[in-house]
Amino acid sequence: MNDRVKRWLKDGTIDIFLGYKMVEGHPLPHCFTPKRLEEVDDLIVGQARYSLEKMATHISVEKPGIKIGMLARDCNQRALNVLYIWNQLEPENIRTININCCPSNLKEHGDCSYLEPETSGQYKKQVGLDNTADTKTLESMDSKERLARWMYEFQKCIKCYGCRNICPVCFCKECSLEHEELIGTGVLPPEVPIFHLVRAVHMAGRCIDCGLCEDACPADIPLRLLYQKVNEIVVDVFGYETGTNTGQAPFSILGDKVTLEPKPLSAG
Amino acid sequence: MTIKRMTFLQELLTFMGLEERLHLSWISSAEAQRYVQVVTEFTEKIRALGPNPLSTYTGSIKAARLEFPSGFGKDQVLQQQKAAGTIPGDR
Repeated sequence: MNDRVKRWLKDGTIDIFLGYKMVEGHPLPHCFTPKRLEEVDDLIVGQARYSLEKMATHISVEKPGIKIGMLARDCNQRALNVLYIWNQLEPENIRTININCCPSNLKEHGDCSYLEPETSGQYKKQVGLDNTADTKTLESMDSKERLARWMYEFQKCIKCYGCRNICPVCFCKECSLEHEELIGTGVLPPEVPIFHLVRAVHMAGRCIDCGLCEDACPADIPLRLLYQKVNEIVVDVFGYETGTNTGQAPFSILGDKVTLEPKPLSAG
Repeated sequence: MTIKRMTFLQELLTFMGLEERLHLSWISSAEAQRYVQVVTEFTEKIRALGPNPLSTYTGSIKAARLEFPSGFGKDQVLQQQKAAGTIPGDR
């Protein structure tokens, strides 16, 4: 792998390579450049996950047309697909090296920080939501109970914006969650459940279920569960599989056509 | 498309435990009677459902919210830099 990256950087297939490097015992995202080829020897693959594709998005905003190579798990690939669809990255500018991911029938062994989610304690299970629960368990509950449990989880929110900042498919220049009239900044605690529902709605057709938001959340809110439901509805209602579908997302309003025909004013 | 987007929202709200409080109807501007009928029916439905269950939660949130002096959290230096455009992209 390291030789391939070196070769790519040398022959100009890519201008930079995004991967991980061990810094003082921590695997941190690192940008490898042709100027410092010797660093590529330190390129590592491990359980660490960062949204490398998000960094790629930011870099290509600064330097349009730059050719970027990066390590990619399955979730990174899905995120890249979404970013291509939303015109945030050009597929011809991205080269990926696929690395081991979540275990499946095809791959028994996997490396991912999400493989062992934190276990929820007794109290959280009793009044809140178990982060490892699935949408079916929740739907079997009474709606009052569901609301109470969700509100318990949302009320813990400290509005750190960690979920949005880590999210590989959050790229808007102006974020509704910081909009003065919609959510407002600087006020704590945030208005719930609006804060989380706004984000949930914006995840429709975008969320690729990587679980980074939940990894990042200091209040341990089961965000992945919420967005999994969002994805389920998007599949049911729109027939759109986020991350694998190559068509325009159903919630993109660009290119919407007016279907009503203008009628003549005079009664014929 | 609108009906699909509304269905999406209705299902999401149901998942949250707030069902049946969102309604969509097509009414032309010429159909005043139908408008009255739909609004009345929906009002009756909501009345039967009772007050918004969220209000029991939002009360405690408002109580917990600290009253900041005006201008708090809006650091003036930051504002000036923002106005002058000297802050590089913050995300």
